[in-house]
Amino acid sequence: MNTTTSLQAISESTLAQNRYIAKRGNAGMRIAAIARNAFREAVRDRVLYNLVLFVLMLTAAAIFIGELSGGQERKIIVDLGLSAMLLFGVFIAIFVGVGLVYKEIERRTVYAIFAKPVGRGEFLVGKYLGLCLTLLVNVVIMGAGVSLALIYVSRGWDPLALRLWPAVLLIYVELMIVTGVALLFSSFSSPALAALLTFLVFIIGHFSADLKQLSLSMPGAIARGLFSGLYYLLPNLANLSFITPAAHGHVPQLANLIATVLYALLYIAVILASTTLIFSRRNFK
Amino acid sequence: MNTRSVPNYKPTVAMAAVVIFGMAGSVLLSRWIDAHRLAADRTIEEERLYITASSARHMSLGFRGLVADWYWMRSLQYVGGKILSVPQDVELDDLSQLNLQLLAPLLDTATTLDPEFLEPYEYAAIVLSAVDVPQAIRITQKGIDANPSAWRLYQQLGYIYWQQGDFQAASEAYGRGARVPGAPVWMEAMKARMAAEGGSRTTAREIYSRMFEESGDVKVKEMARRRLLQLESFEERDAIRTVLSAYRERTGHCPVSWKEIAALLRTTGLTLDVSGTPLDPAGMPYVLRTADCSVDLDPNSEVPYN
Repeated sequence: MNTTTSLQAISESTLAQNRYIAKRGNAGMRIAAIARNAFREAVRDRVLYNLVLFVLMLTAAAIFIGELSGGQERKIIVDLGLSAMLLFGVFIAIFVGVGLVYKEIERRTVYAIFAKPVGRGEFLVGKYLGLCLTLLVNVVIMGAGVSLALIYVSRGWDPLALRLWPAVLLIYVELMIVTGVALLFSSFSSPALAALLTFLVFIIGHFSADLKQLSLSMPGAIARGLFSGLYYLLPNLANLSFITPAAHGHVPQLANLIATVLYALLYIAVILASTTLIFSRRNFK
Repeated sequence: MNTRSVPNYKPTVAMAAVVIFGMAGSVLLSRWIDAHRLAADRTIEEERLYITASSARHMSLGFRGLVADWYWMRSLQYVGGKILSVPQDVELDDLSQLNLQLLAPLLDTATTLDPEFLEPYEYAAIVLSAVDVPQAIRITQKGIDANPSAWRLYQQLGYIYWQQGDFQAASEAYGRGARVPGAPVWMEAMKARMAAEGGSRTTAREIYSRMFEESGDVKVKEMARRRLLQLESFEERDAIRTVLSAYRERTGHCPVSWKEIAALLRTTGLTLDVSGTPLDPAGMPYVLRTADCSVDLDPNSEVPYN
């Protein structure tokens, strides 16, 4: 009797383990499928049409800016191109990001998805990666556009066309954070509120140096703690801002670049985990 | 019975007409409004900037470089607009009559937003120094503090002091610049020349030659070129005056035409046209002033008068 019970326990344990391995093995594929779908949806929604506007703006700038800039067209092309890349990207990250989950709930397709063996975390990560892929395509094409515009205004090869790419990487990482923040807010609020809150985080994220300064200069311990807490809680987007130095041909130090990207990835992991926690508590039954 | 439905184009035509006539009407109205707009209030035009340089730095988020470019282009447009508003030609380094009140805050904001942006500092040294010397020195010094390895900023600081006749301070600025790694050897020579003969034409020629060679700004280069033409013309006019004076001493009267002294002028190495009239460095004939037996520039010459 004891032997039978023991064999049964081992058999159940193995089955559970196999199920766990099978589920774990397929999680990557499920996330990839959701990401692919989210990317296709963004393309179908004509999100990448912003590239047309970007190219038109850059072409006009490359042709006319020389007349207005007193010979500073190279710097202005980089400033303009990378700033537009960030601005367009932030708008896509916010407005598409807040609708990623909301649209699925609104259209009730989320019920069909969760009826299948798809975890809520997998769903969120898949959606997130899908939008990140859209932004990657956007950023790479825009970066290539800026490089080509530089080569055009320089009337030949310009080393700045290559040296601006670390700044492009940092812009992309910043957009990844903003997308994560948009997803987090959209998991518990309406799209309009989520968009507003994400935009505020984007603004405050660029004031991080001031938050730190405030935390150091405040007389009271509570206020100091509050601002210090906000400084660490909110994403430090100022660290990712490298557009102005890039326009002067500077590249970030490798150690700083790696540390900044690691910080961003860690922060994104925290955001996605928090989003999953909140989203898991929502009732879709 | 074959009944084929005929598409109704009427709404499309009506909408297209609204678009076309509406657009045409709005263009006409805009033109009318522009034509009847009251002249801009000068006091409003010259109103101080609402946003201080440090506030602009805070508010520009991750777009500091772009906002700096905007302030830089606004400075150029501001000066360009002022130059166009006066009928006579004015030199870029002599715009004191144009009341450029906003230039200092515009350049200050551009350089606060992007301290590595060197061109606004050059503009401060060349253009602003004729309008507001303390601000020009302050902005250039700010540039030196932010870019200690940019020797050109010391050259520009030296230029401001030289323009003010403070040759000792100019010499010190060139000397400090000469110590910057990568600075050209002539910076050290300028230091010595400025201390020894700061007010001479040789020094002025050296300053404008270096400015012409080193500047990346087309307008600054043009200004330096014209100043070099002017310096050359000063030398030529001195030589012509010497010839005129010698002729008057010898004959007791002033020549009535250049032809009378053409042979003498040729000996000085001046360029003369076929009629014997001396030509200025820009290729225009000099004007003979018989009233006081002197020489003057042709009003149409591109050589600056002052």
